[in-house]
Amino acid sequence: MRFKLRNTFARCALAFGFAPAVFTSSLQADWPQFRGPNAGSVSLDSKLPTKFGGESNANVAWQTKLPGRSVGGAIVIGDQVITTSSSGMDQRRLHLISVNDKDGSIRWQQEFVARGRTNCHPTSAIAAPTPVSDGKYVYAFYSSNDLACVDLDGNLVWYRSLSTDFPKAGNDVGMSSSPIVVDGVCIVQVECQGDSFAAGLSCQDGRILWRTDRPKQSNWASPVAIKLPSGEQVVVMQSSQDLLAVSPKTGKTVWTMDVKCSSIPSAMAAESRLFVPAAGLTVFDLSSAGAVPSKLWDNNKLAANACSPLVVGKRVYTISRTVLASADLFSGELKWQARLPDAKSIWSSPVVAGNNLYIFTEDGKCFVVNLGDEKGEVVETNDLGESVLGSPAISGNALYVRGVSSLWKIAEK
Amino acid sequence: MFAMQSIHSSIAKLKQTALALSIGLGMGVTLQAESSPELIKQLQSLKSNDASNQIATDTIRQLNAANDVTLIQSLTAMKGATPVGRNWLMGLANSLYRKSGKSQTAELNKFLSDATQDGEARYTVFKWLTASNAELRKTLLDGMKQDPSPELRYLAISEAVQAKPDTKELLSLLDSARHAEQVVSIIGVLKEKGTVVDQVKQFGLLTEWKLIGPFDNVGTVNFDKVFPVEADWINGKVKDEYESKLVADGKNVNAKWINESAKSEDGTIDVAALYSNEKGCIVYAATEFDSEKEQDAELRLGCINGNKTWLNGKLVMSNEVYHTDMKIDQYTEPVRLKAGKNQILVKISQNEQKEQWAQRFAFQLRVSDSTGKAILAKGK
Repeated sequence: MRFKLRNTFARCALAFGFAPAVFTSSLQADWPQFRGPNAGSVSLDSKLPTKFGGESNANVAWQTKLPGRSVGGAIVIGDQVITTSSSGMDQRRLHLISVNDKDGSIRWQQEFVARGRTNCHPTSAIAAPTPVSDGKYVYAFYSSNDLACVDLDGNLVWYRSLSTDFPKAGNDVGMSSSPIVVDGVCIVQVECQGDSFAAGLSCQDGRILWRTDRPKQSNWASPVAIKLPSGEQVVVMQSSQDLLAVSPKTGKTVWTMDVKCSSIPSAMAAESRLFVPAAGLTVFDLSSAGAVPSKLWDNNKLAANACSPLVVGKRVYTISRTVLASADLFSGELKWQARLPDAKSIWSSPVVAGNNLYIFTEDGKCFVVNLGDEKGEVVETNDLGESVLGSPAISGNALYVRGVSSLWKIAEK
Repeated sequence: MFAMQSIHSSIAKLKQTALALSIGLGMGVTLQAESSPELIKQLQSLKSNDASNQIATDTIRQLNAANDVTLIQSLTAMKGATPVGRNWLMGLANSLYRKSGKSQTAELNKFLSDATQDGEARYTVFKWLTASNAELRKTLLDGMKQDPSPELRYLAISEAVQAKPDTKELLSLLDSARHAEQVVSIIGVLKEKGTVVDQVKQFGLLTEWKLIGPFDNVGTVNFDKVFPVEADWINGKVKDEYESKLVADGKNVNAKWINESAKSEDGTIDVAALYSNEKGCIVYAATEFDSEKEQDAELRLGCINGNKTWLNGKLVMSNEVYHTDMKIDQYTEPVRLKAGKNQILVKISQNEQKEQWAQRFAFQLRVSDSTGKAILAKGK
């Protein structure tokens, strides 16, 4: 029963014109975007195995090799697991691939050719942003600023080359901001030293409904949708120079703050609070009806270099390099820290199922950390033997991991 | 017989009209019923703007629903289409291939063998045909080392290099290779085998430069400032000296032209070394290229700093980007060379970032044809 809601939520969201906002629920089985429903990275009711992979390939339901490489995450819509990839000369071939949840077979593929820049750091890929779906369409964005919309059968609905519109949009380290969909608008944040902007495109036909200039600085953070006390939805965008909320339909500024935010980990909202990677972690009050959210607290011991924060219960969690920190949601007081032993670089944002946090490293290890009140305990260290830079998805009692060259489903056998 | 065809044709047109009307009514717009070939033509000429996107979205919806458009039609239409149009057509082709592609092997083989068709379309077809046929893949790639499709050529040469060929074959592959990283890779393999290739000549990198600077760029605010030397160069008459920025000892020193030859095999001019790692400054570099004839060419620049490039007084490139990457062919721009001496000026702009990875101040430039094959100056 719990997972009968799969895909229903997204369809309702589309029908009624709203997107997931501040609450943290565990009932949705779809994982429609980067960090899942509400960008919360949490699926409390899911029961995932703590031990998987390794030489015995334990609890690996399937592993599907995919063309090229990807550092973005997968999404789950109904019985489809959808991911992107970039392959071939200069990674110019942009893939959008649907995999059957049941057996890992390829259901459909779409493919385009990058029309924007395809330079990127060797650890990254042109397939870096995580795709997003409103339950009817899937929107795939790439470092080259190509944006494609397909239906759930993989048929092209529309395509847009934002680098053709804005030729100086690009970053030779690679872009990675993931798009979101709010109120029938697909929102992209394209911040770089050249043509730097954010834009809202019509989900129906890819028209640019609005575009706003952004600071000319490289930025890899993703926008996030939040709901204000009035019920209005706004899109929050961060950069090294500001924190900005805009209306998703018009792009008009709702509020802006002079906050120097991190340019890699992204903000998230929970419990009427906005958690922003800035000055360590800075938390703003979303409960008041005032024009600009007031600051509740900040704590420089909760800095994150790459991973986005997440909230479970009355705790907020951040990762700085290889140290996981837990702090009180209301005061910001640091409760405990746990070092991830022998961990290499971490780029993938963690997810939580039940009371366990799953965090993947660049060299393919996954630390499973039990989140206690007094301490965090590493209960298992798994090894997929494949580099992982994208954030995993959770649907039902399964974990979906996008490795650089393959897609994995992890579930209790 | 003809009467029946006419009836079928009429029914098909009625279906199209009904489809178009139903879509049009549903979308609140009026669409004209058009045949699939006409609709495909619309996709061919697409640009990336709002008006085009509305038309294309309606067009692709009709084509996805139509029964009379064929896979080969959509692939053939990619020839001559705009880059944006090619992606719309590729999206259509992928859907059609899922529906019926596997029954069209003969037609697809014929399409692939026609080297006059669009290179991106042919590479797509190649992947479809060889996805589960390693033997066919090898056979086809063996004959594609000089294919006009850059992607097919790149793949064919990559596979051939991996097969550990002898030196003669490697030299032949080097002659065919156009992709900069692939060229460097083959030269590296040849070197391991004891054959040294002049990489600078292979790429056609320009090595002889005259530089002048540093000029003020404190605060990174003068990227677009036209310094006197820039104005003079554009007007075709430069002086020997210009007033420079304040240097470390607080004195103005007149900047003079200095000669510099690229010493590395990637043709890099290390501007930082020439100007004592000066930050917040601009340096100009000038050279000339003696072309055998008037011809189409590309200027291909690699630069880790903000940069502008002029050819014969005309600005051809401008990239205000700092410390993201530098490699051969990083920025390319088609140009028309005149016969004889062509004047090239590069403006390199350094900012004041303090990070260890943000200290480079360098560039490299070459002249090639549109495929990346070096065009050498007269007498080189």
